[in-house]
Amino acid sequence: MQQATSAATAVLHQPNGSLCEASGITHDFALPNGKHLLVLRDVSLAIQPNEVVALLGPSGCGKSTLLRILAGLIRPTAGEVRYHDAPLVGLNPGAAIVFQSFALYPWLTVAQNISVVLTAANIASTEAATRAAAAIRMVGLSGFEQAYPRELSGGMKQRVGMARALAVDPEILFMDEPFSHVDALTAESLRAEVIDIWSSVESNPSSIVIVSHDIKEVVYMADRIVILGANPGCIRSIVVNDLPRPRDYRAPAFLEMVDRLHDIITGHELPDEPVAAPPRLPCMEPLPDAQASEIVGLLEYLDARGGKQDLFQIASDTQREFGRLINIAEAAEMLDFVDTPKRMVILTEKGRQFLQADAAGRQTLWRAQLLNLRLFRDINTLLERQPDHRADRDFVLETIILNMPEENYEKVFETFVRWGRFGDLFAYDETSESLWLA
Amino acid sequence: MSNSPPTWRRLWGDATAALHRARRSTWVDLLVVVGLAGLLYGLIDVATQWTAPRRLSVEIDLSPWALPQYTLLSLARGLVAYAVSLLFTLVYGYWAAKDKVAARVLIPLLDILQSIPVLAFLPGLLLALSSAFRGSNVGLELAAILMIFTGQAWNMTFSFYYSLRSVPHDQQEAATLYRFNWWQRLRWVELPFATMGLVWNSMMSMAGGWFFLMITESYRLGDVDFRLPGVGSYMSVAVDEGRVDAMLWALLAMLLMIVGLDQLLWRPVVVWAQKFRVEEGAGGPAPTSWFLDVLRQSALAARLHAWAARTTMRLPVRRHAESAASPTVATPWHGLTFVAFAGLMLFLGYGAWKLVGLLASVPGREWLITLAAALVTLARVLASTALGTIWAVPAGLAIGLSPRLSRIFQPVVQVAASFPAPMLFPMVVAVLAYSHVSLGWGSIVLMLLGTQWYILFNVIAGAMAVPSDLREAARSYRFSRWQRFRYLYMPAVFPHLVTGWITAAGGAWNASIVAEYVSFRGNIVEAWGLGSQINQATAAANFPLLAVSVLVMSTMVVVFNRLVWRRLYELAERRFTLSK
Repeated sequence: MQQATSAATAVLHQPNGSLCEASGITHDFALPNGKHLLVLRDVSLAIQPNEVVALLGPSGCGKSTLLRILAGLIRPTAGEVRYHDAPLVGLNPGAAIVFQSFALYPWLTVAQNISVVLTAANIASTEAATRAAAAIRMVGLSGFEQAYPRELSGGMKQRVGMARALAVDPEILFMDEPFSHVDALTAESLRAEVIDIWSSVESNPSSIVIVSHDIKEVVYMADRIVILGANPGCIRSIVVNDLPRPRDYRAPAFLEMVDRLHDIITGHELPDEPVAAPPRLPCMEPLPDAQASEIVGLLEYLDARGGKQDLFQIASDTQREFGRLINIAEAAEMLDFVDTPKRMVILTEKGRQFLQADAAGRQTLWRAQLLNLRLFRDINTLLERQPDHRADRDFVLETIILNMPEENYEKVFETFVRWGRFGDLFAYDETSESLWLA
Repeated sequence: MSNSPPTWRRLWGDATAALHRARRSTWVDLLVVVGLAGLLYGLIDVATQWTAPRRLSVEIDLSPWALPQYTLLSLARGLVAYAVSLLFTLVYGYWAAKDKVAARVLIPLLDILQSIPVLAFLPGLLLALSSAFRGSNVGLELAAILMIFTGQAWNMTFSFYYSLRSVPHDQQEAATLYRFNWWQRLRWVELPFATMGLVWNSMMSMAGGWFFLMITESYRLGDVDFRLPGVGSYMSVAVDEGRVDAMLWALLAMLLMIVGLDQLLWRPVVVWAQKFRVEEGAGGPAPTSWFLDVLRQSALAARLHAWAARTTMRLPVRRHAESAASPTVATPWHGLTFVAFAGLMLFLGYGAWKLVGLLASVPGREWLITLAAALVTLARVLASTALGTIWAVPAGLAIGLSPRLSRIFQPVVQVAASFPAPMLFPMVVAVLAYSHVSLGWGSIVLMLLGTQWYILFNVIAGAMAVPSDLREAARSYRFSRWQRFRYLYMPAVFPHLVTGWITAAGGAWNASIVAEYVSFRGNIVEAWGLGSQINQATAAANFPLLAVSVLVMSTMVVVFNRLVWRRLYELAERRFTLSK
């Protein structure tokens, strides 16, 4: 009934039939300093009629970029997008987008915000008026026509955003994390309303593509769930979700599906294999974007709960996006403070020692663990060898770029400095951009 | 590349470290010493100019070798005036922020000072000061510095006042709780908080100051020559003698001075001020300054800096024992404030009384003529603002919306905006005379020359601030070019445009004094309007008429500000703000 397929064998060859199809999409952004950052690598995906597809992944996996490429807002560096089997040139003619930040024009009223896009679509004013009124009714905004966006709550603003998108009668509705700036209760009702509007087969939108980092939202809404991985963005797996609608958040099948997604994500992001790693790792490990205080917080959290907990439970307890929490757990694992078998995060003996130590003891232990990582060890050796025990920021950046060319090196450097400072391993002066042994 | 041998990297590291030591050498110290010496020389030069016997007409050596000295003189005037402005800002702004009673007078007064065209006072001021210091040039120099000061001080003071008033409440409470005295509070809480605004306003003020400096340096009233040796008078003499090469040299000198000041003073200051940024996280790349990087290599500069930090730290730290000082009242100021305030009120009252006496002697017919002249000048001001808008809005949108264009054009526009347009007036007047355009129309061009940059600058800033999600939405819903302009760019830029208009119109009123009354090849060319009337009244020593003209012009500007500009601004704030 439910099947997971790997990216390679996924819906690559769907002759015709599909509404919109992306194949071999690769995209990189030019950074201000002239370097390029690869955001998507060889992504292929087809959107079928009458389905809801969710793009799920941690932040920075390029899911919003993929959405914009499908909508024709961004031209990919390589690869092709086809709409109704014809190559897409410019904007996708059948698409409308609902934005995460609403993107309403603050100087136009609710009614004007909707009618302006109809004027832009060259729709005669009489028909535009009826369509705008219908869209306003559909999302339950009647009575708010003359209000300005600033008078509305986040949920109401997103209703305007939805009405605006629906007014142009799109075949595919693209939603970019539409409910992440909306309070939880309102989001719940909006999700149900979106599914209601979509489920009438005879009218548009035929399909919905929604970007999300909320697993329950995805299971509630989507027929197919595309799980993306980061650095660079790529499809890890596609999960078909054919739970009957209307879906119930507490149904056993629903929870089972959430569970499966959890397993798949942790399987990708925190693999269990490299437990038997050699004592001296051959290559330099990229530092996950996590703050020292978050790592310590995770350890304290685990200690207060018997030393082990499910990763997604921790994410929901601490109200963090799971992608973020995976980073923290990964960082703690690199420092040997936790183990992450499957979805569990378990405090190690080292982790316990760290928690029991006093402030100075914690710093010593932290320092020792840092020096097990090659980046810290190499830089430390270099600093010790310098007569004045100093090095420039550029030198460290160079080391990072040489050894992990795919990482965002400035981010890695930032983490490097934070962790190093936390362990009192070295000091860093931002104005002179130099690093020296503490 | 990706797996370079560790030995290579070690070598590379050693090399950079060696370089690092080398850079901390003494030549930077030498540079600092030379720079300080140059500054000292400039000040001495100005002092000798001041005390030299009064010249009847300016003597300018048009050789390009004499130009550096003239440039230095102009620069010194600008810097002295800036120092005075800064001092005024700190005292006036602090006073207004700490004394609520005084603020009720000080702030509206500042608002009026900011909006009236101060150049209207120039002819009278020059006459008064030059007769007060009959034997030397001190009067003229003082007038120049006062004029620049009036072009610089007001916006800086406003910025400082509002910064002091908007220091976050928790920081105020913390300062009170830990018993900071007024100096510690100023040094550690209030000044850091105000620095960013003060730096930006200082840059703007300095640019505006050159405008006034060029006018005062090259000002002639009838057959009296008030010109001072400097770049401005160099230019005006060059035009008089028809020396194109000298004109070009003068332009080059001015450009070099502006760019040099930007690179050697403002950029380092802006980079340094980054540490006072309140919001965390970076918005865009951090600014950099090569000159500051060089200075930071200097041991001498570092020692000077440390010395300054130590001394200011130790300044009058007299702990007061009372447990809870109210955060808004600075105790040692009470008596002083009262005396100063009373003095100010007396002075204003006396001035008003004398003025009424003077005005009463002017017949009604002259009042009417003055009013008509004011309307003519108003029409010119609005025409120049409209002309500026017509070209600057499309250009500003094009530049601001394209990252590539704004990278190329922003420095150019910045220099163009700080370039004092009055310096070009003699050249433009020559062209106008050659093509037989009357000064009545020509003066609009002259005003435009000085003020269009304010509009362009603000539109660029507004266009760059258009949120990317709104632009993306417009694109995804296929807005046509016109629809984008009408529903997105124009409303988004409107608040910035209004700011540009206010500044531009203010500048145009100032420019009217020198745009409607121009001396060209020894003759005076005039266009009927309030600007030329002020000049005539001064030349004819008709002081009642001068007072009436200045009063009418000031009133006209203030009233127009209240009735039109301020309403537009409120509309922009209410309807077109992007902040919420």
